[in-house]
Amino acid sequence: MNAVRPVRTGEQVVTPEPLITIKSAAKVYGQNRGLSPLSLGINAGERVALVGPSGSGKTTLLRLLAGSLVADGGAGAVRIDGRAPASLRPGPELAGLVGIVSQRFDLVPHLPALHNVLAGRLGYWSLARSVASLVWPLERRAARDALAQVGLADKINERPAHLSGGEQQRVAIARMMMQSPLVVLADEPVASLDPARAEEVMELLVGLTAAQNRTLIASLHTASLIRRHFTRVIGLRESRLQFDLPGEQLTDGILGELYDLGAGEDMEPLAGLAARDG
Amino acid sequence: MRQRLETWLTGPRLLTLGIVGALAWSLSRVEWQQPIAHTGGGAAALQVLLALFPPELSGEFLRICVVASWHTMAYAVAGMSLAVLLGLPLGVLASGVLAERQSAGRRVAAASVRLLLAAMRSVHELVWALLFVAAVGLSPMAAILAMAIPYAGILGRIYAELLQDVPSEPIAALKTTGASPLRVLLYGYLPMALPDLLSYTFYRLECGIRAAAIMSFVGIDGIGFQIELSLADLLFRQVWTLLIFLVALVVAVDWWSTRVRRSLAY
Ligand SMILES: Nc1ncnc2c1ncn2[C@@H]1O[C@H](COP(=O)(O)OP(=O)(O)O)[C@@H](O)[C@H]1O
Ligand SMILES: [Mg+2]
Repeated sequence: MNAVRPVRTGEQVVTPEPLITIKSAAKVYGQNRGLSPLSLGINAGERVALVGPSGSGKTTLLRLLAGSLVADGGAGAVRIDGRAPASLRPGPELAGLVGIVSQRFDLVPHLPALHNVLAGRLGYWSLARSVASLVWPLERRAARDALAQVGLADKINERPAHLSGGEQQRVAIARMMMQSPLVVLADEPVASLDPARAEEVMELLVGLTAAQNRTLIASLHTASLIRRHFTRVIGLRESRLQFDLPGEQLTDGILGELYDLGAGEDMEPLAGLAARDG
Repeated sequence: MRQRLETWLTGPRLLTLGIVGALAWSLSRVEWQQPIAHTGGGAAALQVLLALFPPELSGEFLRICVVASWHTMAYAVAGMSLAVLLGLPLGVLASGVLAERQSAGRRVAAASVRLLLAAMRSVHELVWALLFVAAVGLSPMAAILAMAIPYAGILGRIYAELLQDVPSEPIAALKTTGASPLRVLLYGYLPMALPDLLSYTFYRLECGIRAAAIMSFVGIDGIGFQIELSLADLLFRQVWTLLIFLVALVVAVDWWSTRVRRSLAY
């Protein structure tokens, strides 16, 4: 067990063990199979894309990694940096370990962008700081910098309802930067965005996690984005692992086969399919 | 057919049937033949109605009305403030949103708070007032407590429901930042529920004014007390003036709550 690690901004420590180890992690929801036993190792600094049709287990896998879901065999089936996220209590250790950006709708609509971004610090703040910050925001400069990095410096006092889908997703990314965990998870972060916005948001997510030397695991459905931005791609289908390839080797044919489409078919409509996917 | 009837007659449906049946039975027991008003009541009612024109508007009486309204409003606000102070923490505990993970112990704790809230609100404020007067005698504090307790029971129950009805995605997102339940409450549940919490609290304040007005019999001054005096002297024109002031207070609170909610809209 390592000591509580402060937010790291420097280089990744090189370890022989993969940063993330998943050992026969499985999840069954009542009658439904969420994830069949799966084993994986992911190294620090990798950028992993998760692909697979709706219901194939992507969200289940990401929630197991985030610790918001406990694997059937026990929390120990998923370890990040030696620690099992599902067994950690809320607080700085969990905040520094792993965080997740989801589809839209995960900002608090009633709070301005500033407070939504500052929420990324809640795992680190004392209760007194958290209360004070609601009225008199602390770390305002860091929040403004984070918003500036996602191109929303002028929207700091705007409430999410007044922001477009792409802008909301960028606020969520700024919140993630304030949290700055070792492992950044993203569940279909671009599913509800048009192709141009999807490209922008993915570019930001990848660029910022790479700049902070973080590990990124994201589910998405667009082969071109995966080839351009990800070092590795993992295909899931009916809760099982189908392939595990270097990102640039992903072809539209491989993806089409996974989704049961004719090989070589245009992949863009899948972005529309994905929008309906929980 | 029997099979279908048996599957249809589940527990909740049986309970509903039972309650509807009891209601129907009790209605059938009412002796509708009895005249609703006593003899000569029609003439008295006419006299009261005619007295509306014109209501008593002399300067001196208006001054009494203003002071009485002020007192009623002050008691209502004091009682409601105490009710919110009691009801909010109890509502949060009853909602279960502070539980880090579901456990049997947490569920029992939340259920006991819900029971406490039910006990508080199942006794009417006038009955609470009688109890307090018996215990500590006639005093403004007795009136305020008598209002605060049942209102806290009502507010706590509704607050708990409003907190549980908040959208789940932003809450889940806050939890994954490593935020503890109390911080998630501050940055998620409360801001998202705030417009509804306020709106319901204002509505309850309107009811509180009504309640404060009839608390006169535990010895507090206010519109109710003045109505009692005027009625005793059969000065119906004064009664109407006082009722107009009571309506004006409720309308003023309604206007105030609309303003506040509009400023919170996102
Ligand atoms: N909370 C849940 N209760 C029951 N079944 C669920 C739940 N969450 C997911 N599932 C089931 O688990 C399987 C995998 O779902 P999910 O991980 O959400 O897939 P994906 O994110 O790839 O669409 C699906 O069959 C889905 O119906
Ligand atoms: Mg999903």
